[in-house]
Amino acid sequence: MSERAGGRPTGARVASGGHGASGRHGGASRSPEGMWPPVSRRRKAGNLVFWLLCALALALVIAPTLWLAVDIIGKAVGNWQWNVLVTRTDQLQGGLLQPLLGTLVIASGAILIASIVSILTGMYLSEYATGPLRSVLRGAYEVLAGIPSIVLGLVGYVTLVVGLHWGYGLLPAVLVLSVLAIPYITKATESSLAQVPTSYREGADALGLPPSWTMRRIVLKSAVPGIVTGVLIATAIIIGETAPLIYTSNFSDVNPSLAHVTHLAVPSLPYMVYYFSFLAQPIKHANILSADAALVLLVFVLVLILLGRVIVAWSRRHAE
Amino acid sequence: MSTQADPAQPAEAAGPVRGRVDQAVVTAPHAATAGPVALTTAGLTLGFGTRTILSDVCVDVRRGAVTALIGPTGSGKTTLLRTFNRMNDRVSGYHRKGDVLLDGRSIWHPGVEVMELRRRIGMLFQRPNPFPMSIMENVVAGARAHRLVGKAGMKDVAEKHLTAVGLWGAVKDRLKDSPFRLSGGQQQLLCLARALAVTPEVLLLDEPTSSLDPAATQAIEELVRTLVPDITVIIVTHNLAQALRVADRTIFLNQGRMVENGETRQLFEHPAEEETAHYVAGRFG
Amino acid sequence: MASAPLARSVGEAVAPSPRRPAPMLRAVVRRADVVRWLGRTGAVIPLAALVFILVVLLIESLPAIRYNGLHFFTTTVWNEGVSYNALPVHSGGVYHMSGAAFGALPEIVGTLLTSLIALIVAVPVSIGAALTIVERLPRRLASLVGIFLELLAGIPSVIVGLFGALTFGPFIAHHITPVIARNVPDVPVLSFFRGQPGSGEGLLTSGLVLGIMIIPIIASTTRDLVRQVPILPREGAIALGMSDAQCARRVTLPWVGPGIVGAVVLGLGRALGETMAVAMTCGVALSTVPGNIYTTMTTIAATMFNYLDTAFLDGTGFAVRTIAELGLVLLVITMVVNIAARWLVRRVSGIALPVGRGV
Repeated sequence: MSERAGGRPTGARVASGGHGASGRHGGASRSPEGMWPPVSRRRKAGNLVFWLLCALALALVIAPTLWLAVDIIGKAVGNWQWNVLVTRTDQLQGGLLQPLLGTLVIASGAILIASIVSILTGMYLSEYATGPLRSVLRGAYEVLAGIPSIVLGLVGYVTLVVGLHWGYGLLPAVLVLSVLAIPYITKATESSLAQVPTSYREGADALGLPPSWTMRRIVLKSAVPGIVTGVLIATAIIIGETAPLIYTSNFSDVNPSLAHVTHLAVPSLPYMVYYFSFLAQPIKHANILSADAALVLLVFVLVLILLGRVIVAWSRRHAE
Repeated sequence: MSTQADPAQPAEAAGPVRGRVDQAVVTAPHAATAGPVALTTAGLTLGFGTRTILSDVCVDVRRGAVTALIGPTGSGKTTLLRTFNRMNDRVSGYHRKGDVLLDGRSIWHPGVEVMELRRRIGMLFQRPNPFPMSIMENVVAGARAHRLVGKAGMKDVAEKHLTAVGLWGAVKDRLKDSPFRLSGGQQQLLCLARALAVTPEVLLLDEPTSSLDPAATQAIEELVRTLVPDITVIIVTHNLAQALRVADRTIFLNQGRMVENGETRQLFEHPAEEETAHYVAGRFG
Repeated sequence: MASAPLARSVGEAVAPSPRRPAPMLRAVVRRADVVRWLGRTGAVIPLAALVFILVVLLIESLPAIRYNGLHFFTTTVWNEGVSYNALPVHSGGVYHMSGAAFGALPEIVGTLLTSLIALIVAVPVSIGAALTIVERLPRRLASLVGIFLELLAGIPSVIVGLFGALTFGPFIAHHITPVIARNVPDVPVLSFFRGQPGSGEGLLTSGLVLGIMIIPIIASTTRDLVRQVPILPREGAIALGMSDAQCARRVTLPWVGPGIVGAVVLGLGRALGETMAVAMTCGVALSTVPGNIYTTMTTIAATMFNYLDTAFLDGTGFAVRTIAELGLVLLVITMVVNIAARWLVRRVSGIALPVGRGV
């Protein structure tokens, strides 16, 4: 930037320049046969540096992720025993059975509730709502997604655990996590419904078919892969949520029970990762369980996301 | 439509000829086409993937003349044009045999810096493509990238080239504005000013008027005539009347082959090849 | 999924005789109305939840707001008062333990500083990575990296926190920060990088970990935006003889500039509210405004997590009310940031930002 044309070999071009139609002089700016003007090394080097920095950036995205994955997996695999999956947690040792069950029950409950609300919401926003109402409702769930999960947990604690005297339990955790999942599934539903080609609807309308038939037979059918993917991703996200659980389900070593959805603290994997880690319990066998729980959680999340990816790829191939 | 200048109408609408549009303003000097060769293709065969777009094309482009590339859709004229400044190099599956010589030297020679090549061989596209920056920054964008001008000289260079394309009067009070509010014709003139600001020796025009209205088209055609002989111009056009109006020489391509290369009037009136005659007659009816 | 039975019942009414719907029409219309009504009810839930959260936090924290006053934003004390053998004090209609005093300045400064570090790390890395993915990688590899970003976005924050606290933090504290801390000159601004490098818990570790977490949001949104830049202006830049770097800096990135700003603000929103990863790496210093980049500290979200056990011991509930006030502050900050990002992007470039973690 600081270099002006003045002291450089290319300066001749600027000075004699031939700027504009009138002042252009035929041969002067043209180089002699076979001679190229000296190339600006600085520009070439600048471009090289630019791409090197970009490649470095990509490496900086990938390297920490791999490091993290290797670290988490490595810590768990050294002491891994398959029977931790079916062994009960006993104080700070044993296996992962109750937290595993707890996480599965909490996540399924939350996803069930969130799916009902979200698919209805997504359908309504995509098919029926118009104008400012639509923007307000859409804005609401988008902003809801940005609310820190710990704040949701606190609200759950204030209203459900204390306010309704439910105590820690399955139900408060399920309700809070379902609020967390709603934006993801709603977004997936809305955008996959919006991607259904208009020609499908018009074709059905032109045959005089009722809108609800079109909705079920054509529109929903082609939107299902997208919605399922949204559900899977939402599951992946809430399955790893920890912060809200400290306020709602807390931790215990009992089996989750559908007969006691309140007043019974429920263990879960993500909370175990924290609660059994070196940070909270500097005891070796507890730390091993924490590492095991982290591995199981990581595998769950990766499988869910990859599954979503596969469904999207599969449905795209079959759409053509 | 020989009209008198409408005072209410801004000057930019009529292009570089301030406010007056005469019918016979464009005078293509079909004489004086002699001169050394600027660009040569030597047995150029080129394709993408399994498709071959150009086969064994050998043409000479005269320096300081306007050369038109004509031919039916898919004849490879745009591909040939984009080869001259190596815009095809990065298209996937690109493969090539043969060579293109600029001033007798291969444009793919390892010593050739592609950025410098493109400074020497400028290009104007089918649709105007201003950059997301102010009008003034647009004009000097290339010149700044090549460090032909410092920050201080920006305004002078912008004025010079905007004047050259006849846009100065229309935009001098809004140099800081976005170019996207200009009309299509004005945007294309802006892009032309931008291309001229890097002082190219050759200018490639890829159907530069195909998205413009007749008045803007006429403005561009008039400008093209003022560029020669300082700049060698190659224009791809599907409009044979346009080729006849602006081009000293014309090259007819068909199905990726060079069929005929000659003086424009000669090629249109007394084509040497039957294919050319057929095409020209068919298009002119 | 759960709406499948509903959809089926709607469809079955018609499916047997789609060609002659007349007799069924009325039933169909009625059922369609039911769908619409249910949909509207469902669609209002997120909005209602939003209002509900705001109101609950406001009511819960009202006594804390009254007692803590404006000192809450300017002081650094964090003390729930005397908990043992002490009677609650009643002042100004608010019950609290005697000696209770809360100032959230360390939390607020910590939240802003960690997010700032995260942005400084994540923005250039994300934009560089996005440009590489779009302009340089073959399509196969690009979609592989896309999956990678999606996985990174999905990694639970407690796992990132575990990695940050037990591996990443100690690593930089042993191998990187001592070198920087020793060699940085003692001049204004840079002196922030001087001092005891510590054990790896603190501002720098938390900020870097947050950076790793928001990279996928910014990178994948930027990648999608760059893909949308029309080819024509980019070719124009290349044809002028601009280098790739110049084309990217002067044409491609400005073209989608507002969208990238929106993505960055969205990432900021996530960094501000992230709990576990920070709570596990910050070192939990409830009353410390960081004096250098290695000091242990806390953020609003981290305090809400780490201080909870102590807060429950306060029989008057005032400590929990103060946590609610913290939550309200965090909620307002993140909502403003989120709405600003969406407003900005929609106004300028008419595209929609991703939701939440952007996966």
